[in-house]
Amino acid sequence: MTQIFVLAEHRRQKLRDATWEAVEAGRKLAADLGGDLTCILLTDKAGGMADDLAKECPKVLVVEDPAFDNFNSDAAIKTLRAILQDKAPFMLVMGNSNSMMDLAPGLSVALDAALATDCFALEVQDGKPLAFRQMYSYKVNAKVSFKDAERIVVTLRGGAFSFNPTGAAGGAVEKIASPTAGEAARKRFLNYVEAEKGDVDIASADIIVSLGRGIGDEPDMEIFESLADAMGGVLACSRPIVDKNLLPKYHQVGTSGVEVKPKVYLALGISGAFQHVGGIKGSPLIVAVNKDARAPIFRVAQYGIVGNLNDVVPALEEKIKEIKG
Amino acid sequence: MDIIVCLKWVPDTSEADLAIAGGAKDIEKDDLDYDINDWDRFAVEEAVQIKEKVGGKVTVVSVAPEDAEEMLRESLARGADEAFHLWDDAFEESDGFAVARILAKFIKDRPFDLILTGTLADDDCTGQVGGMLAAMLGVPGAVLVSAIEPADGKVKFKKELEGGLYEAVEMDLPSHLAVATGLNEPRFVSIRAVRKVASMEIPILDMEALGLEESQVGSAGSKIEVEEVAMPPEGEGAEIIGGGAEEAAARLAEILKEKGGIG
Ligand SMILES: Cc1cc2nc3c(=O)[nH]c(=O)nc-3n(C[C@H](O)[C@H](O)[C@H](O)COP(=O)(O)OP(=O)(O)OC[C@H]3O[C@@H](n4cnc5c(N)ncnc54)[C@H](O)[C@@H]3O)c2cc1C
Ligand SMILES: Nc1ncnc2c1ncn2[C@@H]1O[C@H](COP(=O)(O)O)[C@@H](O)[C@H]1O
Repeated sequence: MTQIFVLAEHRRQKLRDATWEAVEAGRKLAADLGGDLTCILLTDKAGGMADDLAKECPKVLVVEDPAFDNFNSDAAIKTLRAILQDKAPFMLVMGNSNSMMDLAPGLSVALDAALATDCFALEVQDGKPLAFRQMYSYKVNAKVSFKDAERIVVTLRGGAFSFNPTGAAGGAVEKIASPTAGEAARKRFLNYVEAEKGDVDIASADIIVSLGRGIGDEPDMEIFESLADAMGGVLACSRPIVDKNLLPKYHQVGTSGVEVKPKVYLALGISGAFQHVGGIKGSPLIVAVNKDARAPIFRVAQYGIVGNLNDVVPALEEKIKEIKG
Repeated sequence: MDIIVCLKWVPDTSEADLAIAGGAKDIEKDDLDYDINDWDRFAVEEAVQIKEKVGGKVTVVSVAPEDAEEMLRESLARGADEAFHLWDDAFEESDGFAVARILAKFIKDRPFDLILTGTLADDDCTGQVGGMLAAMLGVPGAVLVSAIEPADGKVKFKKELEGGLYEAVEMDLPSHLAVATGLNEPRFVSIRAVRKVASMEIPILDMEALGLEESQVGSAGSKIEVEEVAMPPEGEGAEIIGGGAEEAAARLAEILKEKGGIG
């Protein structure tokens, strides 16, 4: 019987959404594989978090240790290894957040487990788990199996497993002594560095013209500024544009940038990776111009033009100016 | 500072028209252009910049077929001091775990203060090799790292969290850092610089030279297996506005006007 473990993630004494999504995935796996579901909480102070988890999860295992006042992958690998090493067969489920990206690969080695990261779906076929994830610039879906592994770690794509709270699990909370108490971690959290604020706030903009790598290596930014002006909107962008210092970081839309909720989002030369699209909230009208008809952005857009920006952008500005008269 | 940088040779799939290969276990790769993984270009640059500041040696290494020599040589031209090419036909179909094991075997007996990798590779999109390698070598690590400052047996850096938030972290050396894109500006390499390193030897180490066995590499040494790949279902998708650029732009302008996209 495969035991299912979910690793809770929290920041500043608050459970993060990824935790609940992992609980949802864990419940389904427990049902399909006929195992028990246990949620593991590593923290300096459980506070109300353990009780909140117990409402949704039949068993909550809590380790309180000052090493976990902020997430620390070095300490977490050692502690989770101590907890899980003799629990096989098991599956450990967690979010694919930026913090867990520090943890999961190293942990899988420490546990001698098979790992699938960033899974958007999980299934059980003939008693064996299968993971679904994306490859090749996020343009191809892959079905992945774990051979005969009895130890499996999976991380989940944010937003792919929507959580249905029941509030009725009535779970038991068990506190265990930290197996690694007093051990000095080789990695130390110093402080948070908040996002830089700029002269425009794209989070509150109604009309956004967003630029991606498709604008080329040495683009003439005036063309896009003037299109945004004609539309009465602001410029935003994908990550590579910030990486190339073409626009400051506070223009970046996405999971590691700004969440926007405009009425209209015009994506120019953006492929539509989920970390980008994940930053577009609400249900704006998304319009995309891209030369690749298969670009994932066309799957979230309502309207698209398959074509070259060099031709489409000047023509579009001209037509908009005509309309405005 | 002795720095080892791990480089991946990947097909450029972001703009290519992809097709599923026969057997549906992979995509057709014959017609794709290969290049250094985007994140890894930043890793090489970072290593060279650290060396330029504090001294030391930069070693680049890749588990990749023959063509990847070009990437290794270009890295020498960027300022790396030595390059190693790990390849054997038996390495084909290695998953991230098996690749990490090959790299670990190569690194184990070499002195290093820092291992740099990219955070994620654009082909498998897993982001696992760096962290696995670190665990195999018994050193701590972090991904999505920028503002790297090594000093006195430690390294300080910024790690990217979600929503523009970062954390400042300190870690003991030796350790592993997977860089974030944009942490530096990779330098331009001239043809002259590449020519200067044209005669430098890039040793190719095969399975035997590395002391590995058939069961530890390739699909036998892998922990996961891709059963099937498929293009995502078309779904609803966008309504594609046809016609030439002029015509399409005119129609799009109308739509924008109608939906409040012209303020
Ligand atoms: C942890 C993590 C966090 C991330 N956070 C973010 C984030 O917050 N925001 C973000 O954007 N990304 C983020 N990324 C990166 C993300 O995965 C993608 O790499 C990125 O969004 C791609 O940007 P792009 O679409 O501009 O470039 P590409 O994917 O390279 O796409 C360029 C597109 O332009 C098209 N094109 C090229 N030339 C032309 C032309 N002349 N005319 C028309 N079309 C053209 C191409 O067909 C292609 O579709 C993150 C990644 C990770 C791992
Ligand atoms: N075959 C390889 N050879 C050398 N380094 C690699 C290889 N595969 C992955 N890496 C490194 O690991 C990082 C993450 O890759 P991946 O785990 O494949 O997403 C890359 O950016 C590289 O730095």
